[in-house]
Amino acid sequence: MAIETSNECMSVAQAEILLQSGVNCRGVTNAPPKFQVGDMVKAKVMHPVTYTRLPRYVRGKVGTIAKVHGVYVFPDTIGQRLDTKPQYVYNVRFAAQDIWGPDASPKDFLHIDLFDDHLDTV
Amino acid sequence: MPHSHHSESDIALRVRAIESLLAEKGIIDPATLDAIIDAYEHRIGPHNGARIVAKAWVSYDYKQRLLADGTSAIAELGLTGFSSEHMVVVENTPQVHNLVVCTLCSCYPWAILGLPPTWYKSFAYRSRAVIEPRKVLQEFGLDIPDEVEIRVWDSNADLRYLVLPERPSGTEDMSEEALADLVTRNAMIGTAKVYPPRSPSTITA
Repeated sequence: MAIETSNECMSVAQAEILLQSGVNCRGVTNAPPKFQVGDMVKAKVMHPVTYTRLPRYVRGKVGTIAKVHGVYVFPDTIGQRLDTKPQYVYNVRFAAQDIWGPDASPKDFLHIDLFDDHLDTV
Repeated sequence: MPHSHHSESDIALRVRAIESLLAEKGIIDPATLDAIIDAYEHRIGPHNGARIVAKAWVSYDYKQRLLADGTSAIAELGLTGFSSEHMVVVENTPQVHNLVVCTLCSCYPWAILGLPPTWYKSFAYRSRAVIEPRKVLQEFGLDIPDEVEIRVWDSNADLRYLVLPERPSGTEDMSEEALADLVTRNAMIGTAKVYPPRSPSTITA
């Protein structure tokens, strides 16, 4: 296990700091973002037995990068206490019809935040 | 949804049993737990989000900063905190209605809106909000016209979302504080709109 977490009992003062300041999820990487706003991307088809933030309902679907959020630590590997694996997060816009089929409204869109490791180039 | 007072007290009992065990083993400090509960009962709640919305309604410059970088603009008001570290604010307009959900669990901007309502955490809301948002909104009493675009924001990563509702008409003369009183929690999730204040009823002879 690469990531150690404290088992110490949290004090009142520590709780106050946590409530005030929260937990910073930003990370740093030297790698450039793989995608830019307007790029078409495909959510990977994968079925890991471990934790992932890539929901099943967008896997294999094609969407468009709506925003580049910057670099964040990667919950999929942190959830296994393996590595923070910092990488870019993007807001990806999907047409509801591309996810759910023709019964969905042509005016409905899904916006979801996905990581570099969740996305393939189209 | 089926739930009875019986099952609620079962859960309360189970929580209390786990809490006493954790305290006895020294894993949690009951004083810390009390401090956290006190914060969410008395300091943190939707009134924080309402302040942000009202400020954006009265100050064009603030609204631009808020939409460009929610995290920094909210920090200006000192309202950041746990589970609201990285904020995105999305604006409702006559052309676009925004709705926030977390399909994977129940991610929610706690520092801005307080603890999430029970329905926000329900399987029904989390699955239906993405597949049939118009029907879900109808059940909340909100009819979104066909030509209006609906954007559903699945807050599955570490960014948290706040909806900036439309300012209701007829509120041009209201102060920022009075405007904040109109803003509801659901309007900031996207399951409601903000309505102008009803004029006080008059007693007629």
